[in-house]
Amino acid sequence: MGSSESIRKVKDYIGTMPSLPTTVSKVLEVCNSPKTSPVDLDRVISLDPVLMGKVLKLINSAYYGLQNQVTSLVRAIIMLGVNTVKNLALSTAVLDRFADKAGFRALNMEGFWRHSLCVGVVAKLIAKKKGVEAQRLDEFFAAGLLHDIGKIPMNNVLSDEYVRSMGLADRERIPLYLAERRSMDLDHAEAGAMIADAWHLDGPIADAIRFHHALHLYEGKNEDIVLAVIVADYYANRESIGFSGCLYPEKLPPELFERLGVPKVWLEDIDAAVTAEIEKASVFLKIRN
Amino acid sequence: MFSVRIWGDRGSMPVPGPDTVVFGGNTSCLEIRCGSRIIIIDAGSGIRGLGDWLVRNELKNGPISADIFITHTHWDHIMGFPMFTPIYVPGTKLCIRGPVNFEDETLEQIIGAQLSYRYWPVRQDELAAKIRYESLKETELDLGDGVIMRTKYLNHPVLCLGYRVEYEGKAFVTAYDHEPFINLFPTDPADPDYDAAVAEEGDKAAHEENARIEAFYKDADLLIHDTQYTAKEYKAGKQGWGHSSYEYAINAANRAGVKRLLLFHHDPNRTDTELQELELFYQGKLRGKTAMSVDVSREGMLLNLA
Repeated sequence: MGSSESIRKVKDYIGTMPSLPTTVSKVLEVCNSPKTSPVDLDRVISLDPVLMGKVLKLINSAYYGLQNQVTSLVRAIIMLGVNTVKNLALSTAVLDRFADKAGFRALNMEGFWRHSLCVGVVAKLIAKKKGVEAQRLDEFFAAGLLHDIGKIPMNNVLSDEYVRSMGLADRERIPLYLAERRSMDLDHAEAGAMIADAWHLDGPIADAIRFHHALHLYEGKNEDIVLAVIVADYYANRESIGFSGCLYPEKLPPELFERLGVPKVWLEDIDAAVTAEIEKASVFLKIRN
Repeated sequence: MFSVRIWGDRGSMPVPGPDTVVFGGNTSCLEIRCGSRIIIIDAGSGIRGLGDWLVRNELKNGPISADIFITHTHWDHIMGFPMFTPIYVPGTKLCIRGPVNFEDETLEQIIGAQLSYRYWPVRQDELAAKIRYESLKETELDLGDGVIMRTKYLNHPVLCLGYRVEYEGKAFVTAYDHEPFINLFPTDPADPDYDAAVAEEGDKAAHEENARIEAFYKDADLLIHDTQYTAKEYKAGKQGWGHSSYEYAINAANRAGVKRLLLFHHDPNRTDTELQELELFYQGKLRGKTAMSVDVSREGMLLNLA
């Protein structure tokens, strides 16, 4: 783990980041159950007035074009069904973490967001390809979307150092996380792990955040999701979809694809699907704001 | 002229055979004529017969042009599209509209996916017809030539639209696939999850949404309504499947002042004998009690509105 000064700054910042009152972890927990009851769904969303407001705003948006205003969550669940409202809440809760521009100094927020979205989308496509059960697909998406979340506090409170580490990675043609370690003694996966701790996120999403640059250290039982995020990250960098600050990502050894159970050539076939999914998510985000 | 012809009225799956000769075995497809305009609702397996009829009888008068409205994208409502012959005829112009869920693909991808080599020997790109796709919401469209189309979201596991066609002062409405809204929240104070305010809001929401659906088909000259189940079947495990009972459809249509009700979207297991018995049973029950006429839909039926 990095220098005490870097860690202190990042930790202080994480303390000021909007926490996840009920969101992500709780919504994920409730929504990942294939048998979410209307009562559970109503409760988990109602606990967070901001999330509730956003879900209602989305329901009343031009997307559905409903003729009558829906002002209660109970009504929304009765009208649109548990599944629709569940998906809206999940997307809103997870994507919301990325709407705060203030957290971006060194990195370009739009590029970062697009990169994260691409990794989420591709991780989910990989899960589908692997035949992962339907109720876990959103977990793959969320893990991909959140994998680089550690870059947010580092950009904010260590922005000069961050710019320097991007320069270092560029000059020496090394992956950004290695340059982060050299400049700050802390990399974004470690910072991300600190956020996961603060938000009490554990399980597969936290593992993907923590180990997406350190698979060789991983001994947990969620290797499928960690591998999916690593390969999705590789794809997003290779295809230059969005920009995460890393110009020289590590090459992936062929056996990694074997462990994942998805052939590397398959990545050649998904371009159109990825573009379409990202566009859909972008539209969704515009509606949401 | 304002008419509706039934080319398919079966729910879920085509069921050809000796038990479905009278009421038909094809899945939903309606042909609506408003003067010279052709409006088609749904592309279930019934659309094959309609397409062949159009090519045989109307192509000689010029290229076929039609508006197709899909109620929703469940398979029984789109499966006939690859066998709709006019799509292979140069000069055909189609505008296909329907609702899609935000997490799904576009309407073109969903319907067009059936025209890919894994399912069908001809690909969508190879079709001769000019086809335009539009995703549809709750709205009102002026289709020109005096035809107004209104849409309303119904209650079904995917986004599903009811259609109201108004022409020459008459109204024809579809309300399938549809299940009455119900309060999904516990209403029994003994239930550990009971919350009085939530229970009350749930009751109010379900009641008001059902009233809105009835307002959508209010005073319709013809209403085609989902009646996949009897009330007994519905209560025995079919709640939440997105379909109505005969009893609900008849009562709701009667409340809304509908003049003629056609019972539609027959369960695939329902035989001709059973449908005949059900028709006689409900007609008998209603005799002398309402001015609304009620029939069970039969494939091939022609209903004139004006």
